[in-house]
Amino acid sequence: MACITIDGVKIEVPEGKNILECALDAGIYIPHLCHHKDLNPLGSCRMCIVQADGHSGPEPSCMLKAEDGLVIHTKSDEIRKLQMLALELLLAGHPEDCSTCPKYGHCELQMLIQYIGPKTGRLKHRSKGFAPDGRNPLLLHDMNRCILCGRCVRACGDLRGVGVLQYQKKEDLEVYTGTLHQKLLKDTDCRFCEACAEVCPTGTIRDILASSEIKKEDYVVPCRAGCPAHTNIPEYIRFVKEGDFDAAAAVIREKLPFPKSLGYVCSHACELECKRKALNEPMSIRNIKRFAAEQDSGKYWKGKGKQLPDTGKKVCIVGAGPAGLTAAYYLRKQGHSVTVKEALPTAGGMLSYGIPSYRMPRELVQEEIRVFTDQGVKIETNVKVEKPAELLKEYDAVLMAIGGHAGVRLPMKGNTLPGVLLNIDFLRRAAMGEETGLGKHVIVLGGGNVAFDCARTAKRLGAEEIHVACLEARDKMTSDDEEIEQAKEEGIFVHPAQTFEAITGEDHVTGVDFMNVESFSFDENRKAIIKKEEGSEHHIDADTVIFAVGQRTEITEAAGLVLGRGSSISVKDMTKDKSASIQGVFAAGDCIYGTKSVVMAVESGREAASQIDLYLGGDGDIEETLAPKQKADPCIGVIPGFSGLSRQKPQVDPADRRQDNFSLFDHGFCRETACAEAGRCLQCDLRLQISEPRTWGDFS
Amino acid sequence: MGAYATAKELGREAVLEKIKSAGLMTYGLRREDFCEALKQAEEAAPVDAGLNNADTDGALLELLRENPGRIFEGIRIAGMLTGTEALSLYLPEKETALAEELGGTAETYGIEIINDIIDVRKSERHFLLHIVTAAELSDILEGTSEEGVYIKAEDKPLEKVRSDTKVSSLISLEGARAVSMGYHFFTPEEAADKTAADAVNAVIKVIREDQCIVRETLDKLSAFRRASCGKCVFCREGLIQLEYMQKEITAARGKAEYPGLTQEIGEAMGISTLCSVGQESAKAALDATAKFAGEYEAHIKKNKCPAGVCTSFSHIYVDPQACTGCGDCMDVCPADCIEGRPKYIHMIDEFDCTKCGKCIEACEEDAIVKTSGKLPKLPNILTKAGRFRKH
Ligand SMILES: Cc1cc2nc3c(=O)[nH]c(=O)nc-3n(C[C@H](O)[C@H](O)[C@H](O)COP(=O)(O)OP(=O)(O)OC[C@H]3O[C@@H](n4cnc5c(N)ncnc54)[C@H](O)[C@@H]3O)c2cc1C
Ligand code: SF4
Ligand code: SF4
Ligand code: SF4
Ligand code: SF4
Ligand code: SF4
Ligand code: SF4
Ligand code: FES
Repeated sequence: MACITIDGVKIEVPEGKNILECALDAGIYIPHLCHHKDLNPLGSCRMCIVQADGHSGPEPSCMLKAEDGLVIHTKSDEIRKLQMLALELLLAGHPEDCSTCPKYGHCELQMLIQYIGPKTGRLKHRSKGFAPDGRNPLLLHDMNRCILCGRCVRACGDLRGVGVLQYQKKEDLEVYTGTLHQKLLKDTDCRFCEACAEVCPTGTIRDILASSEIKKEDYVVPCRAGCPAHTNIPEYIRFVKEGDFDAAAAVIREKLPFPKSLGYVCSHACELECKRKALNEPMSIRNIKRFAAEQDSGKYWKGKGKQLPDTGKKVCIVGAGPAGLTAAYYLRKQGHSVTVKEALPTAGGMLSYGIPSYRMPRELVQEEIRVFTDQGVKIETNVKVEKPAELLKEYDAVLMAIGGHAGVRLPMKGNTLPGVLLNIDFLRRAAMGEETGLGKHVIVLGGGNVAFDCARTAKRLGAEEIHVACLEARDKMTSDDEEIEQAKEEGIFVHPAQTFEAITGEDHVTGVDFMNVESFSFDENRKAIIKKEEGSEHHIDADTVIFAVGQRTEITEAAGLVLGRGSSISVKDMTKDKSASIQGVFAAGDCIYGTKSVVMAVESGREAASQIDLYLGGDGDIEETLAPKQKADPCIGVIPGFSGLSRQKPQVDPADRRQDNFSLFDHGFCRETACAEAGRCLQCDLRLQISEPRTWGDFS
Repeated sequence: MGAYATAKELGREAVLEKIKSAGLMTYGLRREDFCEALKQAEEAAPVDAGLNNADTDGALLELLRENPGRIFEGIRIAGMLTGTEALSLYLPEKETALAEELGGTAETYGIEIINDIIDVRKSERHFLLHIVTAAELSDILEGTSEEGVYIKAEDKPLEKVRSDTKVSSLISLEGARAVSMGYHFFTPEEAADKTAADAVNAVIKVIREDQCIVRETLDKLSAFRRASCGKCVFCREGLIQLEYMQKEITAARGKAEYPGLTQEIGEAMGISTLCSVGQESAKAALDATAKFAGEYEAHIKKNKCPAGVCTSFSHIYVDPQACTGCGDCMDVCPADCIEGRPKYIHMIDEFDCTKCGKCIEACEEDAIVKTSGKLPKLPNILTKAGRFRKH
């Protein structure tokens, strides 16, 4: 330790620590610009100059090291004059108008100008003549605003170990920071970590996704923000890259108690947000998760998570789908006694009865549910609850998580003819091995994933000719592209942009009349406006029509609860307050917002668990830490060809091997592909490790 | 046996003894006892050899061209003394040909050649070695060392002279407006008292009466701008402002506050930059504005370049009374800025005229005049020879 004095204040600091940091940490502000807490000092801007007793003249405090007895003065006329001149010189090459700059209001330079108050109008002002550079993904460069503090160069080089940014000189001797020969970042070793944008004190290097309306950590790590359960995606991807699959699975399990099922069928909202898509293709996050979950030995969580002592409170969960089971699991961990009542013979909800088994192997669902029962959750099957209020006699709280199990029948001619089936019924019967009523020529009406599940199930049950028709144009169809392509490979015909005119037939379905859609949009009241192509009437023969145009909750007013749109259960607030119209009854999952996704149901179940715990007198905190602490290395170094690394493909059986059976056909990643895919991640979260700037406003 | 081999045979202690008794001083801007400098260096500090960053003349590179082995041996000896194998030789950015030529040999010595100034931030813990010091290390071990400094006076070849040699015995001060030495400008009187040791980069040059001090300052600043790495605010932006102001002054657009502002910025540069480029580059401008204030005043206030160098202060025109319209001037004008027809009075477009004077020589009628005063009334449309009236 060394004892130093700054402006009369004596402080104890580690020997050799730079004086600027000593002062800032002690609450004494010294203006600075080129220095950044996480970077090696450069000593170029001269804003931070101080006078040390016994030293010949002012010197930058960021380059001055603490030694015992050092006496520092941060203010003097000479210091002030030099600071003013330094800033005056800097500004001679900086645009004069701040108001059009996106950094306006949180620019370190601007704040420094206010603090120092440099002279104006004496020096030759110039424009450096750089055009704003929007050629790169994710990052914008407006080099006219650059003040050459060199932070970006040091962040890229010293902090990240990448080093694609360097000082460069133009022909006219104007200095700038950038890549050699102004190469595109993707043609260099750039890792798109955005450290350069993070440390840039001015509006020069900017994050294209930054927005004042979104929380910083959400636009910086959009995959995590996009995941309804906010799983820490970059963290588990890093564990996978290192080959620590147990740790990766533990990270996932901190937010998702169905890691494996989700690894197979998650609708992966995260991938839609992944920043990698700006370079080439998004990360294959779901497949990475699946691989980690498949490799998981349970080392970090089996028997290790949170389990609070029994509270004596009893909760009944109605419906053993992902929402209900998730809520049950966490409520049990909070110490309550939990019973799940399920109408069907097996738990799992749509995981067991909706999503076909060639996508979601049933034994995996049961394996995951065993974790809940091992935790003490009781599940009663073949029990249909009709009047939830009656349960309150026995239970302190009830959660309705009954999903959406009534298929929707469109109001059109012929809609009740024999041969007309409903999506949910059809899939459930197929799942249970019951007679489905399917013929040989099938038309599925609807363009979502459920429609394709119906069509591909029909294929596997032996239908000879299958058509999927929907109102939306091909690019507006809600099903995944992958789903559509695989269906086509299996010989299924897809007809986008069709109106369903009538189901034909006298005493049995003979087909459907269609017309082509010319345009399809919604007006301001969200009413559909459809324009049909004149003379485009046509007919497709079929003996079976399956409606796959949505599903509703199977509930009526008789249950005693207030219902909303599409017979969903009304709750006070979709996320923050899931209490239904009867005190003590809550609702979560598809039954409150319509069919969405498994991960949404899980998140909804987590929120419900927390709210019910609070209702029962707990603290509502269901969070748990399972994974070991990760030391994410900020020095990511160089990977040859990084920006072009292409998305790894899972191993998928060809159509002729998969289309006639219900066996799993997508085998996901192997160790190599999983680790290679993990290596593509930009590790967007590393940027959040970087220290925030300290401006004089923080010190007054 | 080479100097390095000798050093190795003697061993580190004996070599240090030899150096001490030779009284070796580090060369260049910071002259100090070599053994002291070595003591301050860290254990195994890499050796960065080169000129001072500020040395834009590069006259001392002649030593390298003449006998590269001598310098390379010296660098290796320095490496042996700090205990490192990491040896670099920095050559000015433009000297790529020299780097190419020496690269192969340097490699056999384990020395990497880099075409750049020394990055003082990266070399903070390195041992900086001037190439002259390297040469002298060699000499000491070869036993050929003699007292003195290298001097390149005017156009004479680089030579070694005793340190206390008077400048007046190296150059003729007759007709001198100023003397440029090292990074400074001196008045002839000051220069007379200086010795060879004051020329830190070996260069001594007389600035004669027909040379303009502002122009010379400008040239120096421009050379420094090319050398600057641009990291320090004061070096990068200071040089831009200084260069701009001197340029404006030579272009007859100088403002009264320029000399003062030049001083303010120049002084700050000396104490606000990290390497000799920033620290030394304003010295000439400071000397010029302080010691040759009269010349600045002439440019700015009296609209005159005393040396007649700054062409913006002079005009060249065709005397309408004397021009016969022969067209000889038009034929020689490289700027193509003379307008005329046979038997018409020719006219010079001042905007494009470079004031090269070729037309003056070509005109047999002596009709083309150069003046630093005001222009007389001249025709502004083509006028027949002899028809132009003054009033
Ligand atoms: C065909 C199909 C395919 C899908 N594919 C995907 C996919 O690939 N990826 C994805 O993320 N999402 C998919 N989804 C959506 C996803 O399955 C659901 O959003 C999710 O399962 C909803 O969970 P939940 O717990 O709210 O309801 P559900 O999973 O529907 O569970 C509700 C449970 O409540 C039971 N129940 C209902 N009424 C009562 C009662 N009165 N008494 C007792 N029990 C009752 C039901 O039997 C059921 O078990 C798909 C949906 C369907 C229909
Ligand atoms: S970078 Fe800062 S100082 Fe410059 S224009 Fe933008 S807000 Fe203003
Ligand atoms: S590697 Fe990171 S710091 Fe370097 S240029 Fe790319 S995004 Fe910026
Ligand atoms: S781009 Fe930003 S961080 Fe980089 S040198 Fe310029 S102002 Fe500094
Ligand atoms: S690159 Fe990685 S951290 Fe960034 S958004 Fe994609 S998955 Fe998330
Ligand atoms: S003084 Fe000039 S050349 Fe030297 S480090 Fe600073 S900016 Fe670079
Ligand atoms: S001085 Fe030179 S450039 Fe000017 S008019 Fe004469 S010849 Fe042309
Ligand atoms: S010189 Fe210290 S912060 Fe810039």
